[in-house]
Amino acid sequence: MSARILIAEDHPASLELMSYLLRAHGYDILPAENGEIALALAHSERPDLILCDLQMPAKTGFEVAEAVKSDPRTKDIPLIAVTAFSMLGDREKVLAAGFDDYFSKPIDATCFVRDLEQHLPPSLLATRLPRATRNGT
Amino acid sequence: MPAAPDCHWMSDLCDALMLLDGEGTVHRWSDGAEFMFGYTGAEAVDASMDELVVIQDRRDEQRRFIADTLLRGHDTFETLRRRKDGTLIYVDITGKVVNPSTTPTEQRLLFSEKDVTSLKVERDSKTLEARFRELLESTPDGIVIVNPTGHILIANSQAERLFAYGPGEMRATVVERLLPERFRAAHKGHRAHYFAQPRTRSMGAGLELYGLRKDGTEFPVEISLSPIRTEETPLVMSAIRDVSERKLFEQALREKNIELEKANLAKDRFLASMSHELRTPLNAVIGFTGTLLMKLPGDLNDEQTHQLEIVRSNAMHLLSLINDLLHLAKIEAGKIELNREPTDCCTLLNEVAASLEPQALAKGLALIVDVPPGRVVVDTDRRALNQILLNLANNAIKFTAAGHVRLELLAHESGARRGIQFAVEDTGPGMSEDEQAALFGAFVQGQAAKHKGVEGTGLGLHLSRKLAELLGGQLNCHSIPDQGSRFVLSLWEASP
Repeated sequence: MSARILIAEDHPASLELMSYLLRAHGYDILPAENGEIALALAHSERPDLILCDLQMPAKTGFEVAEAVKSDPRTKDIPLIAVTAFSMLGDREKVLAAGFDDYFSKPIDATCFVRDLEQHLPPSLLATRLPRATRNGT
Repeated sequence: MPAAPDCHWMSDLCDALMLLDGEGTVHRWSDGAEFMFGYTGAEAVDASMDELVVIQDRRDEQRRFIADTLLRGHDTFETLRRRKDGTLIYVDITGKVVNPSTTPTEQRLLFSEKDVTSLKVERDSKTLEARFRELLESTPDGIVIVNPTGHILIANSQAERLFAYGPGEMRATVVERLLPERFRAAHKGHRAHYFAQPRTRSMGAGLELYGLRKDGTEFPVEISLSPIRTEETPLVMSAIRDVSERKLFEQALREKNIELEKANLAKDRFLASMSHELRTPLNAVIGFTGTLLMKLPGDLNDEQTHQLEIVRSNAMHLLSLINDLLHLAKIEAGKIELNREPTDCCTLLNEVAASLEPQALAKGLALIVDVPPGRVVVDTDRRALNQILLNLANNAIKFTAAGHVRLELLAHESGARRGIQFAVEDTGPGMSEDEQAALFGAFVQGQAAKHKGVEGTGLGLHLSRKLAELLGGQLNCHSIPDQGSRFVLSLWEASP
């Protein structure tokens, strides 16, 4: 069974982009348009991985990280920041806040999924290959 | 009539009378003496004059006076005495032998002492007026000259204006009147200390000092003191300056500084959010261009692929521009924090070459690395150095159609320090002198870039030179049209 991935992202185009890429590889997506919804979903759905924007309404990514990582029921879920904050020092700030990894925007469509999969156990990797790869082109 | 007021009334008129022996021990002490010096008879009798009223450095003088009186039977003398409360007074002494003896403890002398402080102040003041008035009026600062009893002997009109006194009003007043109440007690102590060790200096350097005007208002002052040696009396000259305006100016400057800091913070926040806001839409543009080119939604024909490549490459260019501009803004704001560490230049240069080798190979260029044997270590910021070298090498490969790109490391001794030079040489189109002169400006690109449509932000060399300067080095270019260019980055090796 392939992983279910929660995406917390308030920018619709970015949410669609990540959802599209992951679905194309065969993953299930739980979309959340703000931090509060994301937290609720993290608790009720227990996703296998969380992608989280930092600057969001209701709750910021940092608040989500604090809540997720301080709760024994969710603290083991890999949590990855996907953010357009990419000034010097932002990466360190993000990792110090409890995130397991830091992806900066713009994301690279060719390696986004592969980088994300580093945080999934082999049993949860999608078996479906994207169409382009499947066709061998 | 009660006795006490009567006694004071008498004392006011009476001189201080005291009976001493040849060693200066007090045997009788009058009410007048008690009133003048503050010691009661009980305190004074059997005590030594030295401990009571004689100033430390005038003890020999006192002994000589006793000896002279004993010799002649009587004598007169003027001196400075200390009262119980520490204040000083001038006294006129008449000494008379009432019991001559060869044994000092059997000898008896009667001292009659008269307080002549005001007389002396008046007299010294007149002498000083005659001697210094014109000189003091010619200086821009307020000046007062003070005697050891703390009385102002002369004040120039600038001082009178500063403290809002009428002409001559400050004369003969005690100098502490020019200070706010809270400073007076301490000032008396400082004054005594100063007369003990007089030297020219600024008063309370680094302290906030205030003057008190006659109307009770205060103003900040700066004071400098110099001793004046006259024939008999040591005096102190104080030059006083009203620094209200300067204080206001300093206050304004402090406020301005805080304002600037706030503005700077606001600019930092603006930069951070601008970076964020520009990257967010670019994420969708570059991301979906990527999914299309990956043919995730479906196949593309050649023209579609070609046009999408153009979209992607321009979007990436836009991203580099944003990155470079932000980087530049940070350098200009002095916000780049260098992390200096011992860095092996040979390894670094080899790494740069390795990362660019595929590009050079694709163009059929020879990428030559020429480093001296062994390690060449400099204390520098690895990231910044790497960025400069990557930029130079990348440019060289980009603009060179055929031939080679050579990365060289040269070390040379110069005095105690060793100079390090990185050279990036190519066999590209080269540049005219005009082009070279403008090369390191922002948004400047050489003719080759314009004609051949080679991509670049026009900020790379500008940034590289700024970084080189941050590292304490220099970045220069030598180029000959149609032969090639050589960029040299000069740094200094870590001092041992």
